[in-house]
This record gives sequence, structure tokens and C-alpha cells, in this order.
Amino acid sequence: MAASTTHDKTTAGAYEAPETELASSNAMTKTSPWPRRLAVVLVVLVWPLIWVGGLVTTYDAGMSVPDWPGTYGYNLFLYPLSTWLLGPFDLFIEHGHRLLGALVGFVAIGFLVASWRGDSRKWLTVLAAGILVAVIGQGVLGGLRVTMSARVLAMVHGCTGPAFFAMCVVAACVTGQRWHRKSVLASAGVGQSEEGASVSPRMILPVLLIAISYLQIVFGAQLRHALPSTSPGMFAHTAMTHAAIALLFWLLAGITWWRMRGCGDLTLSRPAAGLICLVAVQILLGVGTWIVNYGYPPILESLPGSGSYRLESKNLLDAWIVTGHVATGSLILAFATLLTVRLARRRSVLSTWAHERDA
Amino acid sequence: MLFSSMFRAGPGLPTCVRSPGLRLDRRCLSAAPVSLSALVCLTLAAVAGCREAPPEFESNLVRAMSLEISRDVPTQAALEDVAPVIEELFGTPQSPRWPTSWMANDQQRDLVSIDRLRIAAGGVTSDQENVHTGLYQEHCVICHGVSGSGAGPASRYQVPYPRDFRAGVFKWKSTARSEKPTRDDLMKLLVNGIPGTPMPSFSLLPPSDREAIVDYVIYLSVRGEVERELLSFAVDMLDYDTTPPEDDLRLMLVSTQNDSTQREPIMPDELTEGGEAIAEVIDDVLGRWVSAESSSVPPRTELKGDELAASIARGKEIFHGQIANCAGCHGTNGAGGLPTLDYDDWTKDFTTRIGISPDDKEEVKPFRKAGALPPRQIDPRVLTGGVFHGGSDPETLYRRIQHGIAGTPMPSVDISEEAAGKTGLSPDEAWDLVNYLKR
Repeated sequence: MAASTTHDKTTAGAYEAPETELASSNAMTKTSPWPRRLAVVLVVLVWPLIWVGGLVTTYDAGMSVPDWPGTYGYNLFLYPLSTWLLGPFDLFIEHGHRLLGALVGFVAIGFLVASWRGDSRKWLTVLAAGILVAVIGQGVLGGLRVTMSARVLAMVHGCTGPAFFAMCVVAACVTGQRWHRKSVLASAGVGQSEEGASVSPRMILPVLLIAISYLQIVFGAQLRHALPSTSPGMFAHTAMTHAAIALLFWLLAGITWWRMRGCGDLTLSRPAAGLICLVAVQILLGVGTWIVNYGYPPILESLPGSGSYRLESKNLLDAWIVTGHVATGSLILAFATLLTVRLARRRSVLSTWAHERDA
Repeated sequence: MLFSSMFRAGPGLPTCVRSPGLRLDRRCLSAAPVSLSALVCLTLAAVAGCREAPPEFESNLVRAMSLEISRDVPTQAALEDVAPVIEELFGTPQSPRWPTSWMANDQQRDLVSIDRLRIAAGGVTSDQENVHTGLYQEHCVICHGVSGSGAGPASRYQVPYPRDFRAGVFKWKSTARSEKPTRDDLMKLLVNGIPGTPMPSFSLLPPSDREAIVDYVIYLSVRGEVERELLSFAVDMLDYDTTPPEDDLRLMLVSTQNDSTQREPIMPDELTEGGEAIAEVIDDVLGRWVSAESSSVPPRTELKGDELAASIARGKEIFHGQIANCAGCHGTNGAGGLPTLDYDDWTKDFTTRIGISPDDKEEVKPFRKAGALPPRQIDPRVLTGGVFHGGSDPETLYRRIQHGIAGTPMPSVDISEEAAGKTGLSPDEAWDLVNYLKR
């Protein structure tokens, strides 16, 4: 919102570097729109990739294609379309997950090239390279899970996926218009009142949100990929901890929103508010996930319908509830990451601005 | 390094030196990806190095401890001999065996199909024709556990606990209380599930998959019961104590073939006393499975209008009467709410039957460590919701009254003309009760 008013667009999608920078570099430079575009494409592709990966686990379809990197002896991209689309659902989602993963890999390559050629920030190129390495690593991890038939690797694969998603969100964040100094200053209210910018909230809350949301993903993966030999006590403790932390996280999201709202920066308070809503949805999905997997827990036995509820294995709606819980977990991590990156940027820009003003 | 440089305050974009050609500092480009790659590779190498151990059947330690307390005899030696015998006879979760040469007749041999067992066993896979293997691991193991102990990873918060197949006791069946279920009974359970419990319906699976799961459940139950009975036999009849008895009495099997994956334990021509005990136990367990038959139910007259109302009124009287005394546990009109202090047989097996109070956490603790779930009181069902776990068709309810529910405090009622009015009900009275339950 604020960004659109703070930048003079020269050509479609490209923008001029701020004046201060021009002064210091003494050169007219333009940044390519492609890093931003490809970063957004990455984010838009990776969340569905997590959904499909989640469905693979929900349907226990990880071993429906026994080889890797090929598919039933075919090159990944040459596997017959008709067999893929019209074959068993397990095969459809597993092969689809691989194809989508490969597409993300290609986009990651494009993002690296675009960042290298079209954006002069070295660290962005480093980040892009990191994203490429991560997507390759994630693919190899998925492949090893199949070739070694290892459920533990499936759990690791399930944990690293959301981390990769968060990296893509960072990439989209730092290539967006809200990253620019003018935009950050405008969002902070600099120049709009005599007082200048309000005090920025501390980093601790959003960083805690990232840490806890990722911890929750790890706990969830332990429940979802529990080995047959896992003890009931360990599973129960993990489930209880997962549920208790979820409530704590919701409270923390509320406090974070209150702190962000206090500084009057909508680019911070809006994602924080979104986080509260997402966590609420996630808690409901979590309860639903338990019910469709293991029936009503004793604490919910008094709910109407619990006495007659009949679980159904491979039920489509149930599968979407469970997978939705997985995907929303990643989305929460993404929102927490977005908030953290924006706040860090605001603090850094305001700090420099204050320095310059005092000087 | 990466993150600290990212947020460094700077104008809109780059803080590093730019040139028209956007040539970057190569040191900056290479360092982080290389270290990231190295980290990923090291991690992958580490995880690849430690292969996942396949699940194994665990010994029934809870049973061994119960025997040790009830017989006042150490069971370690018996356990050490029984475990390899069971593995030799029944194989592993990856490669199950069905010891046909130890079976007395074709009925026993055909009780399960080894081909279907192999489909149900092992890790989960599927192919381009949608043929699934590892069905037990895919659908059952998370609740029922690898050996069918009912103590799977997710069992702790389930109400009721998942069934422990190893005791060979099943609640929902058409056979008499002490009998095994028929194959049909197990199949119906898989199709219908058990409403109001965590047991799902598997109606969306292909029938062949359900058949394979039924085979595997019977296999686990037979395996578990043979293990239980061999442990008892060893302590009660074969002089096992702190040390094993002489060789002739020991429970041992000798492998005769080298191929460890496909071999089947061959019954020797001449059996030792220990060998005879094994054969006897297998015959006893399998004999009860193959002899199981649905009990007959007398014909029911379909009633309507006033006749049905009168039948329901009589049923209500019986429900609250002295002979059936259903209200004594299920409460007035089946509304529940009565306090109970009873447990199911799976819990009693390691508590009240061997003189241990289920409430005594210290005494129960060793059994918990051995794999038992915490004792939990069993509540009589609230019948007003019209949901019956084992099925609500009239014949099923009739059998439920006639046989009670195996493994639970729900008793049977003698249904015969002779017992009517004295110690039991007449068939007509039982139907009146069924009509009242289904009202």
C-alpha cells in the first residue's frame, strides 16, 4: 500500500534506486523485476508442493513409486501421462509431487540466475544459491526416503520442507517493494508527523514465533511419521506437548499482534493479525486431525456426536483435514518469517535514518 | 553472515559495490552455498549411514511377569526358550510364517493363506496396478502395535484401548462367549468399523485387502496365544525355573534348512516332550479357531403397532427386572451414570487376577514398563443413543444378551424355555428385550 506511493516507477516492474543510494554509487542502476517475480513463483509453487507432499504421507503413498530419480524405470519427465493421470491415486500424488518438486527446482535455478544477473546485492545471490541447494537437498532426501524405504527420512523430509518454504518467503520479502528504504520509512510514519517514527518492537517475539512454529512442525512430524516401535508413552507426551504449545503459541501470537499494532506499522500488524487467525484455524484442524485419526479424545467425549462417530479409513474429507493441518503449519511458519524479516528491516532502516538525522 | 548482511541498513537496495555489469564479488558468492552444500551432504551421508531397523515382534513380557507372580516361579528361562520357538514357527513382521507342518489337519492349515499374510506383512508399498502390500503397517500398526499387543504408538489416549489380539479374546462376534470369532465376524468389523470408538471402517479398501488384514489379525492372535500358552506350559508342566529343564523337556526347534527367509519349521518325526508340548499348544489354539461357528438365533416375529408397543413394555420390565437386571449396570432406561469399579479381562490379566490392585501405581509400574497400558475402569455403555459397538441388528443384540461380551464384565443370560422365569429368559422374552433396546 505505502510502497506504491513511495516509488517512482520507470518501466513496468522496474524501479529506480533511491536517491541516497544514487548519490553514493554515483551511477544509474536498475534492478531486474525477475528476481521478485521468480521468488513469488517459488512461494506460490512451494505451498502446493507441501500440500501434495502432505497428501503423499496421509495416503501412505511414499512407496508407490519404488525407484528414484526415475519413475518405474522412466525418466521422471517421460513417464506416460495417461498412466500417471489415470492410474492409482497413490501413484498420481507421488509422481505429481516429484514433478512439482522438479518444477520448483527449475524455478530456483532461474531465481539464482536472475538474482545474480539482475540484482547487485551479493547476499541475495547467496540466498538464491542457498535456496537451490536446499531444493536439491530436499529432492535427494525424498529420493533416499524411497530408495532406503526409511520412514525416519520421510519425517526429516517433512521437517525440511517447511524450512525451505520459509527460505522462499524470505526471498520474496527481500525482493519486494516493501523492502525499500522509502517504503519502510513511509510505513513507519516518517515524515507524516513531527514525532517521526514510533519505537520499533523488539525482535524477540517474532523470532520466538519462528522457533516455536518450527518446533511444532517437528513435533507434528514425529506424530505423523511415528515408527511402529514408538512407545505409546512417547507418542502421548509428544501429542500433549504439541497441543499445549499450540495454545501457548496462540497467546504469543496475540501478544505479538498487540506489540506490532502499538507501533502503528500496518506492514507488521497485518501479518501478526493473520497469524492469530491462522493459529486458530490450525488448532481446529489439529483437533479434527486427531478425531479423524483416533476418534474423540476423552476430553471431548461430551461433544454431541462423539458416541456415534465412525472413523473411515481413506476418507477423502479426513485426508484433506489432516493434510490441511500440515500445510497450515507451514503457512504459520511462513507468516512468522515474513513478520520477522519485515521487523528486522524496519529496525535496521530506522536505525540508519536516525543516525543520518542526528548527524 | 548471510542474515546479518541482509538486514544491514542501506538504501533501497544493494549495499555492496555495484558496477554497470553487476559483477559481484566471487568470494561472497561461493562461501555460503559451498558451506550449505557441505552441510546438506554431511547430513544426508549421516542419515544414509544409519539404516532404519525393521520392526520386530516383542516378547510378551507382561504375560511372563504375570505368570512369575501368580506361579511364584521365575520365567526368564522360559521366556528365553519360548521367544526363539515363536520366531521359528511364525517368522518376523517382514517375513511371516504359517507352520503348516505342525498343524493337525487341512482346516487348520487353511485358516490363513500365507500369500495373503505376505501381502499384509512388511513395509508399505503399492504399484502401478494399485496393489498394496504392508497393509497391517499401513492401517493397523499405529494403534494395535507390531505384535498386535494393542499398545501401538497412538494407543495411550484411545477409548477404549485398541484390542490386544494376543489373548485370543474378541468382543464383537456371532459365536459363544468363550469361542473365537468367525472369519465373517472379523470381516464385518473391518467393513463397519466400531462406531463411537477409534476403530475405523475399512469399507473403502478393496475386499482383497480386507481379506489379507483378516488373515494377518488371525495370524497375530494365533501367534500371541501360542506364545502365552507355551509360557504357561513351560512353567506349569515342563519344570522351567531359574534354569531350563533337561533337554527332553525344553521348548526347542531345530532348523533343518539354510534359507533363513523362506524356511518353514518342519515337525520332526520323533518329538521330545518339549516338542509335543509345542504341537499340543498349536493344536489347542488352532482347534478353537477352526471350530468357531455362529450361534443360532431363533426366528424373530416382526411386530407392529400395539403388539410392538406391548413387546417393548415387556422388554422394559425385563431390562429393569431381577433376572436380566440390565439397569443394575446400564442405569434406568439405559441412561448410564452408575459408578463402576470393574476392569476388562486384558487389564485383569496383570492386576486383579494375580492379586495386584489396578489403582496401586507402584505395583502396576513394572507392568507398565513391560508394555502394559495404564489400567482403566470399564464403563457400562449408555444405551440411549441407539449406538451399539458390535452392531445393532436384532440378531446381534440377541446374541449379545445370550453370550454377553467376552473380555468384559457384561454377563451372558441363559436363554431357554426351561430357564425362563427362574434363572434366565425365554427366547420371546429375549426378543422383547431386543425390541426395547432398539426402541
